[in-house]
Amino acid sequence: MGRAWIGGKPAALERALDEAVRLLAASRCPLIAGLGTDIAGARAAILLAERVGGIIDHMHSHTLLRELAVLREAGMMLTTPNEARLRADVLLLVGPSLGKESPEPNRSLGLDARGSGDAGRRTIIRLCPGRAATALPGETALGRDPDQLPRLLAALRSRLAGRSVGKTAVPAKAIESVATLLKAARFGVAVWSAADLDALAIEMLCGIVADLNTQTRFTGVSIAPPDNAVGVLQACGWMTGFPMRTGFGRGYPEHDPWRYNGDDLQATGAADCVLWISAYRAATSPWRDRSRLIALTTGHAISGSPPAVQIEVGRPGVDHDAVEHCPPLGTLVAVAATQRSGTPSVADALGHMLAALPEPAR
Amino acid sequence: MRTRIAAGRVIDPAHRRDGIGDVWVDDGRIIDAPPSGTAADQTFNATGKIVMAGAIDIHSHIAGWNVNTARLLLPEFHRAATPRPAGTPLSNAGWSTFATGCLYAEMGFTTVVEPAVLPHYALHAHLELADTPIIDTATLAVLGNDDFLLALIRDRESATAVEDYVAWTLDAARALGVKVVNAGGSLALKANVRQFGFDDVVPDYGVSSREIVKTLQRATHALGVPHPLHVHCNNLGMAGSDATALTTIAAAEGLPLHLAHLQFYGYGKEGARGFSSAAPQLAEAVNGAKSVTIDVGQVMFGQTVTVSLDTLRQFNSRNHARPRKWVLLEGDANGGGIVPYNYRAGDFYNAVQWAVGLELFLLIDDPWRVFFTTDHPNGAPFTTYPEIFALLMDRDLRAQQIAALPPDAMAVTTLPGIAREYSLSEIATMTRAAPARLLGLTDRGHLGAGAVADIAVYSDDRDRAKMFRAAALVFKDGELVVRDGVVTRYRAGRALTVQPGRDRAIDRRMTRYYDERYGLSDAYIKIPDHAVGRPFGLVPCAR
Repeated sequence: MGRAWIGGKPAALERALDEAVRLLAASRCPLIAGLGTDIAGARAAILLAERVGGIIDHMHSHTLLRELAVLREAGMMLTTPNEARLRADVLLLVGPSLGKESPEPNRSLGLDARGSGDAGRRTIIRLCPGRAATALPGETALGRDPDQLPRLLAALRSRLAGRSVGKTAVPAKAIESVATLLKAARFGVAVWSAADLDALAIEMLCGIVADLNTQTRFTGVSIAPPDNAVGVLQACGWMTGFPMRTGFGRGYPEHDPWRYNGDDLQATGAADCVLWISAYRAATSPWRDRSRLIALTTGHAISGSPPAVQIEVGRPGVDHDAVEHCPPLGTLVAVAATQRSGTPSVADALGHMLAALPEPAR
Repeated sequence: MRTRIAAGRVIDPAHRRDGIGDVWVDDGRIIDAPPSGTAADQTFNATGKIVMAGAIDIHSHIAGWNVNTARLLLPEFHRAATPRPAGTPLSNAGWSTFATGCLYAEMGFTTVVEPAVLPHYALHAHLELADTPIIDTATLAVLGNDDFLLALIRDRESATAVEDYVAWTLDAARALGVKVVNAGGSLALKANVRQFGFDDVVPDYGVSSREIVKTLQRATHALGVPHPLHVHCNNLGMAGSDATALTTIAAAEGLPLHLAHLQFYGYGKEGARGFSSAAPQLAEAVNGAKSVTIDVGQVMFGQTVTVSLDTLRQFNSRNHARPRKWVLLEGDANGGGIVPYNYRAGDFYNAVQWAVGLELFLLIDDPWRVFFTTDHPNGAPFTTYPEIFALLMDRDLRAQQIAALPPDAMAVTTLPGIAREYSLSEIATMTRAAPARLLGLTDRGHLGAGAVADIAVYSDDRDRAKMFRAAALVFKDGELVVRDGVVTRYRAGRALTVQPGRDRAIDRRMTRYYDERYGLSDAYIKIPDHAVGRPFGLVPCAR
């Protein structure tokens, strides 16, 4: 059995669920946010949001929607990290996130085997890897500070199209030589994280990729944000037709990245009840008014000012079997529990709430 | 519970039945009519109505990464529909899996095959299908641009090795059959090849497209998988693609082979614009090749989005995107491309495409071998089916529409001269009896005793489009799910799969392969029972 707390005091799970249902049923504008959960949890959250006329958002929506803004304005060419590792002869690594010592995506891109003859096998170009970053032997770096990215990308695209380049932070010769490397690619891959780039920079980068395909082959990899953001996006897409930041207040899904921004809804108090979900780690809600906060998180009681209700949920793929997005393959995969426990999953907890809610008015 | 559907015109081509009579249902199955005087627990009066088995769609892209990316690419296309009562979960979502199941059911369709599932994306597709209510579904697993198969062919491995791999894939991906999409074409595109034909060779592998198709055709047949290899040919959509289709038809060589959306290959190079209908030649070839089946992929005018694993084709058509945005994923094996497109009645090329599809329907003489599709959503959304039924059944309606299209387009087709009209019985063959036989689904597509009680009842109407758009009654597994064209009951469907036998040595080999090539467990590629949350239905193989 999982642990639960009401107002910071230990409580029976059933009582905590009842209290959560009471808060949701009384709410005029409930927000289901965080949404760090597996596919089953996301499905349950969306069904619950529809029932209570609520809004759904994910803690990484700001990153995802930057990416989606480009996708739905201009489109995109993509591949998987695995295919990039297996096939790319040129890797264009854009932004500082890729210089960090994170095991993923470096592992699936084949970048973790430092100094293992990589430089001979393929060309690696780092674009604005950050002030602290050092280019490894055999790698090419262009720019440093991420602030330079928009202008550098524009200059590079212009140069690739055979046009002259205005003044940038780096010498024209350096831009020219990177342009030459990109054009020489047989199957090049640009890699970026939307956490580093604004939408215009992503669009410019995707434009570079598309332009290069006039002559050669080039494609892209966008690094997925954590907390199963892409998996939740997929479930949201097939269930509602839309990404997160979708509301059901009128009885049907409406998507509006501005109006249904969970951070703003919490900050302004427009949402009068927040169901915060974080099953991969104990990420806390930014909401200050904890009196109408229901938190479904891993681990112990939240210290400081406790939420109205807190329910401990199992970790997907650890406490229970799960389906989640697998970044190296770029697809949804099933993962078996590694330390199976009786802690309820997000889907379990939300399923109980859904069943206990009063029937909708017809 | 015993149900009687009374006194309708029962059209059941599988049993050569077309006449007024009853259909009886008990416990989800159709039963023989009990002795007269037996009372039913419930009776539906079908007087003046037409009773058919539930329809089966063999090729409709309704689920998976590509379809979902199309949703995310085009939010402007699916503003939520008019709100309906909140009786069913997410029934008001515009372009969702929930809407898909309801819209199909409302037209009397009860089984739909999603024909383009890459094994690595199979779980995603099955999750979407599990959220597609009412209808039963199935998937075809796509092979033929995957490294493992091409390496088997390149290394001249045995037919048995290929069969074991195909069987492993069908099991891992929980599929009903095998499809190949532009065999080798996606790999060729990765090597910057921009045009790829049936006898072209895949760079790095030295294997021709023909070898891939023939290898998969033989393996599917040898495994006893009921559905023959489902082929999406090379050179889709190009003037002169008729030659590719004719070559592929000839390559069937007497073994079963299904060619998908043949309309998109029905283009010759005649006429002032070098673009003309080659439907008569293709129809003649199909009529002569008795082991070959085809579906049409009819084009209808209007905005749609093309969703295809043929990355080469989608890459080449990227600049025709309307609106101007498109997505191309080149993942493991095929990947996929999403290119929105607007078929316009005033456009010469689009008008020829429209005519080619109808010509194929009308010139292929055996309704058991021509299947009804729009290649949803590539030729048109599946919601246009009722309009197409009407066109097939009414030459006057066709003449009216032809008159409104560019005359120079109609002049390079034979459509204006075709008088044939489909009968209701032929429609029932093409959409019920024949698909069931093609897919090996002996328990449906007909109204004989023992069949699953999937039944569509239509109000007979001279306006065939109106009649087929909104079924009067639809039963799924004997349960009433649609009344007067509106879903009245939500229920979950099943996913239908095959599981041909294999030498388990292939399992160990696949474990090694995934470890070496991806550094990942092959468990990631398999769909365990817990993942989808509904049972799979198993369709027997011949072997």
